[in-house]
Amino acid sequence: MQKGMALMKCGIAIALMHEYLDEAELTHEQTKRLQAHLDACPDCRQRFESLERTDALIRALPTPRTPEDLADRILRSLPKTRKPRAWTTWVRRHPAASAAALFVLVMLSSFVAMWNQSQQLSVSGSDLEHVVIQGHTVIVPAGQKVSGDLTIENGTAQVLGEVQGNLTVIDGNVALASTARIAGKVKTIDRAVDWVWYKVTSWFGSLAYSS
Amino acid sequence: MKPLETRLARLARKGDHRAFAELVELYKDKLYHLARRMLSQRQEAEDIVQETFLRVYNHLDRYDENQKFSTWIYRIATNLCIDRLRRRRQVYSLDAESSEHEGLDGYAMLPSDDRTPESELLLSETQRILHDAIETLPAKYKSVIVLRYLQDLSLQEISEVLDMPVTTVKTRVHRGREFLRKKLERKL
Repeated sequence: MQKGMALMKCGIAIALMHEYLDEAELTHEQTKRLQAHLDACPDCRQRFESLERTDALIRALPTPRTPEDLADRILRSLPKTRKPRAWTTWVRRHPAASAAALFVLVMLSSFVAMWNQSQQLSVSGSDLEHVVIQGHTVIVPAGQKVSGDLTIENGTAQVLGEVQGNLTVIDGNVALASTARIAGKVKTIDRAVDWVWYKVTSWFGSLAYSS
Repeated sequence: MKPLETRLARLARKGDHRAFAELVELYKDKLYHLARRMLSQRQEAEDIVQETFLRVYNHLDRYDENQKFSTWIYRIATNLCIDRLRRRRQVYSLDAESSEHEGLDGYAMLPSDDRTPESELLLSETQRILHDAIETLPAKYKSVIVLRYLQDLSLQEISEVLDMPVTTVKTRVHRGREFLRKKLERKL
């Protein structure tokens, strides 16, 4: 052992032994100091031998023989056709597009549901007392005043009297007599797109008012 | 060009059965060895290998080609083994509480029927002791020791398989090695 070089502690020597067995490259310096320690410390020397033997014995353990028919059994256990996962892969790779597609799908289906729902006549407004309904025709008789808005779905509006608000007709017609007076706007909505737009804006409107 | 296994995995993903059969051929022995060392019992080991390949087959789309195929398949197999060990310990500790086997740990109660060396391997006395010592290693040490020594994986690759830092793997290899050394020393 070189003079002036303190003997390393056993703990460090043991750590180095393991590093050595991990097949890590010990530096020249580390090797020299480990060797010096082993020369001087019988306990560590014995431990190192024992570790080396353990290491060699584990490596020498025989490999168990794989059962001959294992490969066959594996292949037979597989599902006949691989599950087609093409679309799930696509979804995984295009999360944004998938979310958008899902959104469109949900909107479309709820739209279709709403569309089918509303094939019958419906009348709404703040003042329906002065309105007469005959079949699919909603009549505001002559001389009568409807205060506020009037909205009619799937029907014809026949106005002989007065509407003091907006008149909105969805999927229907408006017949205004010469005596008719409408204070607000008259809107007829026929096409699906307009109808959706109307639904969306009125939904947002209701949100804005309810909050 | 990607390594052979990666190319086979790609073909198998497209439905090529022969490519998958080739992957089975390449890995069945390694996985059986791994499972046998982790679980000791032959039937369990076979189940694990079968289950591993089934999962590989069903999840080929999830295989990331930038990763080594071996890392992926070892991860699946090792996790299955660790799960099995965990469940086994639960079952046995439940049994131990209610039966006359009090004081015995789960390992001691494992049936040893197919551990008879004559059936498959001729083990020396030393090898038998070592074999039993590996069997009693706690799962977290067992997995690194088996991957390191019996599958000859690098510390780096073990860290990828087990998804833990290399330093942790190293510590576990060292502790596992010390554990086995003590067992051997006591018996020899």
